[in-house]
Amino acid sequence: MGSGKNKAFKVVTIVAVVAILACAVWIMANKLGLAQEYDFGAGAYYYADIPGYEKIFRDDVYSTKVPYWVHVVLFLAWGWLMYRLWVWIDKRK
Amino acid sequence: MEKNKTVPAFWGKEDWQAIWIGFIIILFACIAVLTKAFDFSAVKFSTWAVGEAAATKAVPLAQQLGAWAFWRKLIVTVVVLGTLFTLGVKLQGGSVKKYIPAFLVLFVIALVVRMVSAEFTLNRYLEWAFWALLIGLLIANTVGVPEWLKPAIKTEFYIKTGLVIMGFSVLFSNIAKFGLYGLGIAWIVTPIVIIFMWWLGTKVLKIDNKPLVITLASATSVCGTSAAIATGAASGAKKDDLSIAISISIIFTILMMVFEPMIIKAAGMTQLMGGALIGGTVDSTGAVVLAGNALGPEAEQAAVLVKSIQNILIGFIAFFVAVFFATRVDKNSEKKVGAGEIWNRFPKFILGFFAASLIASFIIQPLCGSGAVKEINGVLDQYKNWAFVLAFTSIGLDTNFKEIAKQMQGGKVLWLYVIGQVFNIALTLFAVWFLLSGVVFDIPVLDLYK
Repeated sequence: MGSGKNKAFKVVTIVAVVAILACAVWIMANKLGLAQEYDFGAGAYYYADIPGYEKIFRDDVYSTKVPYWVHVVLFLAWGWLMYRLWVWIDKRK
Repeated sequence: MEKNKTVPAFWGKEDWQAIWIGFIIILFACIAVLTKAFDFSAVKFSTWAVGEAAATKAVPLAQQLGAWAFWRKLIVTVVVLGTLFTLGVKLQGGSVKKYIPAFLVLFVIALVVRMVSAEFTLNRYLEWAFWALLIGLLIANTVGVPEWLKPAIKTEFYIKTGLVIMGFSVLFSNIAKFGLYGLGIAWIVTPIVIIFMWWLGTKVLKIDNKPLVITLASATSVCGTSAAIATGAASGAKKDDLSIAISISIIFTILMMVFEPMIIKAAGMTQLMGGALIGGTVDSTGAVVLAGNALGPEAEQAAVLVKSIQNILIGFIAFFVAVFFATRVDKNSEKKVGAGEIWNRFPKFILGFFAASLIASFIIQPLCGSGAVKEINGVLDQYKNWAFVLAFTSIGLDTNFKEIAKQMQGGKVLWLYVIGQVFNIALTLFAVWFLLSGVVFDIPVLDLYK
């Protein structure tokens, strides 16, 4: 990258960082995106961090006729295929 | 450091110790919940608020600190974690005399982190990972870290133990929770985004810090902080890598939680499609629920269903990352790496994570029911969080601002996240349209009122 382009890249990055942080602070200051009925926010990183998660993460919302083992086979097959693709891409210069 | 060389690897090495410490905690939680013989809950602050009573469910801090139950749980937490980690340090050949006082002070700092991050506004958006890093960084970069505190700074030990405990909450039965629709949205898209970000980071942006690239890719495509912790540990990411990946993910989650539902509404997307898009793209699980909720009840459940599947991907992604780094990234020559060498390099705690997940999914859940597993996970989640808070406070204490700025590689890391997230949203949007719009397949019906 030329030094001019490099400088422009740095300036754009700094502007973006300031804008993103300002936006996040504005959201927090105005308490946007929250729900009255829930005692948590984006800070509940994982599902088990959510207070009373068992009422939200229900097991009976959807039922499928496709057997469980079909899901498992597809899951493992796609995982293996993607791993091979990852290795192949990584080997290419 | 290795004073006692006769200790077998299973007892003396950090990875194996994380497994047995994790399993001791899981065992006690199971016994406590299933027999109701004793209360094994770790201490936790309820939400409290500064100034106006912004939160209807807020419990004043003084009231929390005035309750005997709080102190009893605090003692249980300190004794359980302190005893197990001290035993681990002793078997590693470390000095117990130096570790115990250092651990107690680190625990007090972690307690302050958890208290701060339970404040209404602070826990809505950032929570413990951010505050642990910030408070640790402030101490390290102002008054400095005294020598006597350093024996307790064992970031990887705490992270690995927390991950083994977390394994119990990764329930494999969730894979079929939203049928093939969920599998298509969560599992088809996720690895493609990871591979895209790997290619973009290592080949196009030429970021030479590969653990940072994969940690950020997992945070973007799987589920933010939790996935970053797991893949960071699996790839041997440095403390700064984890701090950067998690900070970027947390800040963007705040933005996406608010703006994504607005854009979806403006675009006139159905609740089912909008919710599934949110579930597949917003990083933190709490933010997924809230962003889905902003669109309506069907969107909330669709978002939750997709996120449930992404949550179980954490272990698999971490496993594949560990194998990939053991076979391709950490090798010194072009020669094929043998099975023995792969085993040597493989982070063993991943096996503990998987074992915990399999035991919860295929033994405890069928035998004791989902309710019992949820109750056990309610107890374990706090121990997991304590282990992670100790780890993140340690990261903060062991980092300086200059190192973090250097790792940002002139802004390339930020753009890797931004481009990766845009690609993630575009691909998830296509998968959602393909599977849920009714153009190609029947639209699934969610039962919201059982």
